[in-house]
Amino acid sequence: MKTTQALISVASASELIRSGKTLSIAGDESALRQLPLGNWIGGTIPYFMASSGGTVNREDVFVTEVNDFISQPELRFYDESSLSQICRNAPENGYSVVIIPAFSDCHASFAANAPNYEDMYMKPLIGWIAGVHLDDLGKIKPKVVLGTSGEFSEECTVVMDVALPSDKFAQIDIVNLFRPGTGPCITFDDTGFSAGTCQINGAPGNLADYLLNDSIDTRLPLVADYSGAMINVSIKSIDKSSKRVEFYAPVFPGVEYRIAAPVNDYLDAIQSALPKANKEISFSCNCILNFLYSDLEGKRTGHITGPMTFGEIGYQLLNQTMVYLTIIE
Amino acid sequence: MKPEDMLRQALEIEAPWHISRMRNDLGKQQIDLWIAQEAPRSAWFFGAKSSSPQGNERIWRHVNIGKARCIVHAVPPSAPNQQPLPWFGETDQPFTHALARQIAGMFMEGVSFQAICSLLDIPVAELWKFKHNLDNGKAGLSSPQAVRTAPSTEPSNSAVPEAVDPVWEKLLDGSINLDIHALSLKLLLTKFREQFLLITDADVRMLKTHEMQRYFVRHEKLLGHELTQLVQLAGL
Repeated sequence: MKTTQALISVASASELIRSGKTLSIAGDESALRQLPLGNWIGGTIPYFMASSGGTVNREDVFVTEVNDFISQPELRFYDESSLSQICRNAPENGYSVVIIPAFSDCHASFAANAPNYEDMYMKPLIGWIAGVHLDDLGKIKPKVVLGTSGEFSEECTVVMDVALPSDKFAQIDIVNLFRPGTGPCITFDDTGFSAGTCQINGAPGNLADYLLNDSIDTRLPLVADYSGAMINVSIKSIDKSSKRVEFYAPVFPGVEYRIAAPVNDYLDAIQSALPKANKEISFSCNCILNFLYSDLEGKRTGHITGPMTFGEIGYQLLNQTMVYLTIIE
Repeated sequence: MKPEDMLRQALEIEAPWHISRMRNDLGKQQIDLWIAQEAPRSAWFFGAKSSSPQGNERIWRHVNIGKARCIVHAVPPSAPNQQPLPWFGETDQPFTHALARQIAGMFMEGVSFQAICSLLDIPVAELWKFKHNLDNGKAGLSSPQAVRTAPSTEPSNSAVPEAVDPVWEKLLDGSINLDIHALSLKLLLTKFREQFLLITDADVRMLKTHEMQRYFVRHEKLLGHELTQLVQLAGL
């Protein structure tokens, strides 16, 4: 069954909701608050890759229709204390769509602990980190929505559990154009969203010093090779006085990172990396950093559309990565 | 006797401790109990109330209540008890003393890690942490002779090698590598390999290989590319 994924008006989205459709919705808070109650979950973000190209839009909402389920998906909030149960509670065959507000305790907790959740990697988990317009940073908090109750939350995670029939399977894939560069291997002693001291090619060093002294382009993420999956940690800022670097996802001890090799033409590179156009995508999202750094406003990333978010979830928290879901028969 | 008093008795929660709060919505088939000390009564007409918590709340997995997991939340007493409280646990340990005794008893009877996890619905990571603490002298119990599980004698339609096949250990210790398409396998294998580097206990290593095999069994239909390679390597 073809999945509807599109940036549409609030009126059209409301019609879909009232018709009983099950939806995952992304949009500016002002747009989401106009939607009626129904079988949907949502998160705030005004950046999208629409069929017409990258756009910043506060009026419309991006809807992803959820189909193929064997029973009506279960929608619920998780708080920080219950978030670790998210995979254990997920359907035996199916997938879960997860939306977490940026800067919340759930965000930090998920980022650091998700790899160790019970049943993690056994059950497909896909989703994104809700954000805000960059002009609203520090003024308005990102939020998620439970459409069945209309409740908005700055702190809770909203989840949709989708059970599939036994002849269908959910598959999550990523498109990450970044590869480890030729620079030194960097490791850290602790898990954290920031770091100062580290090991650089095995010798004690400071990451902030390294990035500044070597004039590293901080639009490039740290990249680690997870058995062939390239996983990014994006750089948020460097504090020269404290000699610390802030990240958009945590670094983990025991993992070898390298600054990514530059990608000369993101659009060109992503075209060849995308799944084939005849592969039906049931859900997808990309990163706002890709939107900004690669200047994607007005440009298309092939046939893949979706919100451009403050972080992506493909089992665990990802940065500067496109994540997509396909249902395989 | 009131039902809550029966629950206290069943869980060996004795005065001055009582169950101050209970939730059953934090996890599937899970009951969370908050246990606190009863404050001394200030007047004859006031009922028992909980004393204010001093220090950080700790959380342990306790013995199951029927099919449900039981999670205990409590603040350590300011004056440690001479006898360890059964529903309490040690710092940095995942289980209460009562559950640790139960698990230790199962080890003594030769029950395998995998079976303990299955029978008590305990996550592998928690049992591993507990066993790790045993092996490093952080707990007073020690494991008996090594436990080995026999390969299944039932015919299987699955192409996935048996859990006891040495190919799994080779995969986890990096002796063999696969060309992997599945994202979840890439991430899971990375996690297991990191853990495998740290695990020296044979039983715990076996548990990890069982977990890896369980992943392949669960996702067999999606792992054709990887399974073909694995079967070839298992046959070598």
